[in-house]
Amino acid sequence: MGAVLVAALVAVAALAPVLSAKNPLASDVEHGLSELGAPLPPSGESVLGTDQLGRDVWARVVAGAGTSLAIATLATLIALVLGLSIGLIAGYAGGAIDNALMRLVDLVLAFPFLLLAILLAALFREANLASSNAPVFLTLGAVGWMTMARVIRGKTQVLAGSEMIMAARAIGASPSRIIVRHILPNVAGAVIVVTALGFAQNLLAESVLSYLGLGPPPPAPTWGRMLYEGRAYYRIAPHLVLVPGVAILLAVIGFNLLGEGLRDAADAKVQR
Amino acid sequence: MNRLGGVIAVLLAAGCAPADRGPRFRPAGATTPRDGGTLRFAVKDQVRTLDPMIADDDSGWYVLHPLFDTLIDFSPDLEIIPRLATSWAVSQDGRTYTFELRPGITFSDGVPIAAAHVKYSLERTLHAQDSPFTQYLGDIEGAHDVIDGRATTCAGLLTPSDHRLVIRLAQPNPALLDIFAMPFTTPQRAEHVAAAGDQLRRRPDATGPFMLDSWDEGDRVVLTRNPHYYDPTRAHLDAMVMIENVPRDTQFEMFERAEIDAAEKLATPDYLFVMSEPAWQPYVHRSPAMNVYGSRMNVQVKPFNDRRVRQALNYALDKRHTQRLLNGTTVPAHGILPPGMVGRDPGLAPYPHDVAKARALLAEAGYPDGFDVEYVTTNDEETEKVAGSLQSDLAEVGVRLRITVMSWAAWQTAIGQPQGPAFSFASWTADFPDPTDFFDPLFDSRAITSTNSSNNSFYQNPELDALLDEARRAPDLLERKALYRRAEHILYDDAPWIWDYHRLSTEVTQPYVRGYELHPIWQRDYTSAWLDLGPGGAPVAR
Repeated sequence: MGAVLVAALVAVAALAPVLSAKNPLASDVEHGLSELGAPLPPSGESVLGTDQLGRDVWARVVAGAGTSLAIATLATLIALVLGLSIGLIAGYAGGAIDNALMRLVDLVLAFPFLLLAILLAALFREANLASSNAPVFLTLGAVGWMTMARVIRGKTQVLAGSEMIMAARAIGASPSRIIVRHILPNVAGAVIVVTALGFAQNLLAESVLSYLGLGPPPPAPTWGRMLYEGRAYYRIAPHLVLVPGVAILLAVIGFNLLGEGLRDAADAKVQR
Repeated sequence: MNRLGGVIAVLLAAGCAPADRGPRFRPAGATTPRDGGTLRFAVKDQVRTLDPMIADDDSGWYVLHPLFDTLIDFSPDLEIIPRLATSWAVSQDGRTYTFELRPGITFSDGVPIAAAHVKYSLERTLHAQDSPFTQYLGDIEGAHDVIDGRATTCAGLLTPSDHRLVIRLAQPNPALLDIFAMPFTTPQRAEHVAAAGDQLRRRPDATGPFMLDSWDEGDRVVLTRNPHYYDPTRAHLDAMVMIENVPRDTQFEMFERAEIDAAEKLATPDYLFVMSEPAWQPYVHRSPAMNVYGSRMNVQVKPFNDRRVRQALNYALDKRHTQRLLNGTTVPAHGILPPGMVGRDPGLAPYPHDVAKARALLAEAGYPDGFDVEYVTTNDEETEKVAGSLQSDLAEVGVRLRITVMSWAAWQTAIGQPQGPAFSFASWTADFPDPTDFFDPLFDSRAITSTNSSNNSFYQNPELDALLDEARRAPDLLERKALYRRAEHILYDDAPWIWDYHRLSTEVTQPYVRGYELHPIWQRDYTSAWLDLGPGGAPVAR
């Protein structure tokens, strides 16, 4: 189920130009707004209606899928690299290094997630990075690696004490070789599950940041921003809230289900 | 999936459920105005001062106007009407004004108002270092002696009796009567000003239909009826409460919960909501305001030094687009004077949207393929929307805009310099309803300066200068009207701006608020309003 939703989402993002001939950024005052300048409800002309600037909502939601997926992917990758390295090092090295790294995790976790994300997003924004999406995925990457680090560290710790690793050490394998060749393949299942769940979280967090005005700058269509811009129109044009809201809902559910499915698969493998 | 489907179904149902969206109340049905009740409204900023000599912010005026009567006032049709003065006369040469004060007028404590109180008030403004209104009195004889500290009393202000004020001008000023409708000209007492000291900003010496009850700064101003006021038709309400620091969308929410009786300048979604409901229509107020919006071009710089280019851009703009983007709260402009203003020629039609003509004019001027140009606008939702619309309209005739967005302050500085951006958003709001406050600062060649030039199209036309001089001196209203109409036609043809629109003010009131319309100058003037409530003073449900 999750895989179907995710596959559909990826397909929509990839086929965006094919799925909607309309430009998601072009506002069509002539045909996209009512006489009074109100957004138009869904119709044959535009399947999901138009927004407050006369832009096609379907075109925007489809284009937004690409933006959201790109940001969530990059953010998850950053979190993956950070969390995995810290978890592996802490778990394998143990002692003072483990202690220092785990206290760092505690420190970052001690900050409310949103507050930290808002602070970082504002700082990255100030830095005027080349890509307009960069502040968002850097922020999400920077606040999303702790779960991964903790899970991997625990698994690594157990493995480090195992006979297999003792044997490897005994024949003189270097720590880096042990981590890469022996521990990494054994934590891969957990990595995949945490990544899938983290992806869902990043997707949601990107919408939250966009809603707060800290996402990619306008007019780039993102679901969070669409929701934010449409919220004031909920009475006269409910589709402006429903469309991006349902899109976020489906995507997050999709990745969560996928994560759960993968976990079940991983568990089964362990049992086998 | 079933659960998911359920969630979506609930969401859809909640979003689309038909609900009664009309007003909750109706007028109780009184046929004559009723006295009593408290009218509550809110503003988005806070009042800085209640000293009429200093206050010049919009929300300040909403309470200043009920607190301070002036010799004369503007009717909703912008006619001059009597208030504290019953009559006034202007001499043939336009240099002597004689006001007869109404008998029996008093301050809110019952002390009679005399002509000397008006004289004191004006001299206080002339002495003041911090009054934004001093300049308006500059044409009075001897005013500059007081401003420069060479005299303590102004030679041109005479009070032959307690009920007569004579004002002699050094040169004619056709806007003088307009100036005497501004709150800073209200009579004041020297004793009160001295006694209040630095608390004067909190202790208004009221002369109007209302007086100050309390002011919890930053929270609310409460006015109560002035028992000594001479005109009972201007004081039906027992009290008025103005709540400060309420954002526009919150105002509308409070309005819907009936916590306030009026909400102004509605945010777009709220305005669209109200307009989509027929039952609200009788309670939606719209009024022209003293403004004009468009784009100004530096007419001394290529390609805008060619009149055909400027006309072409006027033809290329589709004013229906702006009107739609701004939800129909605009009137298309053919020039700078807003509807209702003296001297505006209602017969002059705005430039039509004519792409073929625009292309032909551009080709004639040597730009058959158009050109690329920078366009500067301000960082505001409305101006950015309008700039985007202009960009796509002009693209149709090959003129490609690169839009640069600036803060209001940066934009203002940039366009006031001859070497600044040649093409930009422009707007003007007049301080008082007289054509001089539109034409003279914007298009008189003598208003061109090297920085902060108010003539920011750097338009020079000796014919127009002469016409404006003549209009300024003309004592007769009809004559002035004709002269300003000629000025309008000259500017229409020369097109130093792309004339776009005049913005209307909007407000929605509860159905039981009666006797009220938005005022073109004071905007929210509730002095004559009354509340049509049911028995016990409660609103009647619809």
